[in-house]
Amino acid sequence: MARDTYRLRIEAPELARQVLPGQFFMIRSPGVTNLLLGRPFALYDVWTDASGAPAGIDIAYLVVGKMTGLMATWVPGDRVEVWGPLGNGFPPADCERLLLVAGGIGNTPFPAVAREALGLARYGNRAPQAKLPREAVTFCYGVRSAEYLAGLEDFAALGIDVRLATDDGTRGHKGFVTELVANLLQGTDSRGYRIYCCGPEPMMHAVAKLTARHNIPCWLSLETPMACGFGACFSCVTKVKQPSGEWDYRRTCVEGPIFHAEQLAL
Amino acid sequence: MPARLRFVAPSGYGRYDECVPTLQVELNRLTLANPILVASGTFGYAREMQAFVPFERLGGIIPKTVTPRDRRGNPPPRTVETASGLLNSIGLDNDGLDAFIEKHLSYLLGLGTKIIANIAGHDRDEFVQMAERLGKCQGLAGLELNISCPNVSGGVDFGTDPKKTSAVVSGVRAACELPILAKLTPNVTDISEIAQAAAEAGADAVSLVNTFSGMAVDWRRRRPILGNNVGGLSGPAIKPMVLKIVWHVARTVRVPIVAVGGISSIDDVMEFLVAGASAVQIGTANFYNPTLAGRLVEELEAALATAGYASVREIVGTLQANS
Repeated sequence: MARDTYRLRIEAPELARQVLPGQFFMIRSPGVTNLLLGRPFALYDVWTDASGAPAGIDIAYLVVGKMTGLMATWVPGDRVEVWGPLGNGFPPADCERLLLVAGGIGNTPFPAVAREALGLARYGNRAPQAKLPREAVTFCYGVRSAEYLAGLEDFAALGIDVRLATDDGTRGHKGFVTELVANLLQGTDSRGYRIYCCGPEPMMHAVAKLTARHNIPCWLSLETPMACGFGACFSCVTKVKQPSGEWDYRRTCVEGPIFHAEQLAL
Repeated sequence: MPARLRFVAPSGYGRYDECVPTLQVELNRLTLANPILVASGTFGYAREMQAFVPFERLGGIIPKTVTPRDRRGNPPPRTVETASGLLNSIGLDNDGLDAFIEKHLSYLLGLGTKIIANIAGHDRDEFVQMAERLGKCQGLAGLELNISCPNVSGGVDFGTDPKKTSAVVSGVRAACELPILAKLTPNVTDISEIAQAAAEAGADAVSLVNTFSGMAVDWRRRRPILGNNVGGLSGPAIKPMVLKIVWHVARTVRVPIVAVGGISSIDDVMEFLVAGASAVQIGTANFYNPTLAGRLVEELEAALATAGYASVREIVGTLQANS
């Protein structure tokens, strides 16, 4: 899809029928113990067969470690272990303007989110939603350098407003994606806006601060080290505000990975 | 009743039913329908595993450790994968005994399998008070005493000292009628000494073992990877060490052994049974192979039948040392 970035297509109709945008799967190489645990990957999108029925799932990943390095060597026909769909997913885009903000490989949940918001696809057993017009959906996407921009053709095909940023200025705005978001919100009436965000933690912190200042509801997709993905191991915790005003560690895999920014004790 | 595999009768067996091996095992006062248990801290409170495991097939479930009061647990990262293993320092993150009894216990007791509550206290009195309360909960099958958690201060102190082990076990034994498993730490010079103390103080069995102390380092950042700096190692990496411990204790102490450490296949189960364990716990494998525990019971029947054994009991401790 881009430098060190690949799409993995898994044939799994049952998973494809159930999954919601923003949910994830654990993927594991069968029969090995040198890569013992599964690794979590967000849904990129569902793919359909010739009749239009959900046939499987696409995962987009950046090669960063042992598991993703191994995955890049997989060839069609290989068998993998997958369990899911896991986590809560993004809520339906019940808003007038939807702003999707991605940093790095954090673009992965957004093709499905955008297609659902535009009314181009339905996921799981969710009721059909009010469709947003194309011009009401903006995708702000920042990466280190232009060669890492992945899946641009998928976003372009949706006809939504795509705004790019690169750290080195090789494409789009030179600088952080958060600056794109700040510029976009500058002086606009932000009523009816909603933001969905996925990327490195410092970037999500910055977006959460911005949206608090503009009073825009914001949901973040967290990535925390995870051993099982289904709530048994208590590894993937993050600080979540409690009714008492205190915080407590909560499992990202079952209570997230999507949290309203205000829930988090950042 | 769960479906049972049927096997072609070996010659000499007249009736078909006779060749289904007996899986029941006795750990002194605790009788299990089969020796496949799931280990504390790797199975949540069972709800998390509902989609993966037919609970009624298991010999029993040991839910996550409960402490007298709620604990936030350790700062993340709490787990990191190492070579064929998992290093963790969760830090006994739990909502405390009241919440365990209110939120989880009635669900657990309705699952059609034995529930063995795993408890940890800071001192002997806390263990005793928890045992008194849980002893009054109808339907609980037993208690496993976590005197070996490497990730909390005080946790491992009991399990490294035979006198303290003895004090906790005898205190719990006097405080309730429930069968007792003492879960021991491998991070000692001679574990049989601790196992002996637990047995003499009234433990019905010993669970061998909790995790091995360890750490992982990110040298580029000059930082330990775990938020708690150090943790406990589990998974296939530790299985050879646990086999040796089980074999050693089985030959030196008269106490039933529940083996736990890296078990991830039916062959692993059989190895531990012949080495002297009467039952086993599936732990880390629940995270990456969540349907395993539910499948092992049938595989155990098949393995016993193929080896020509009519019961689990017959095969326990049959390992013979090379002379």
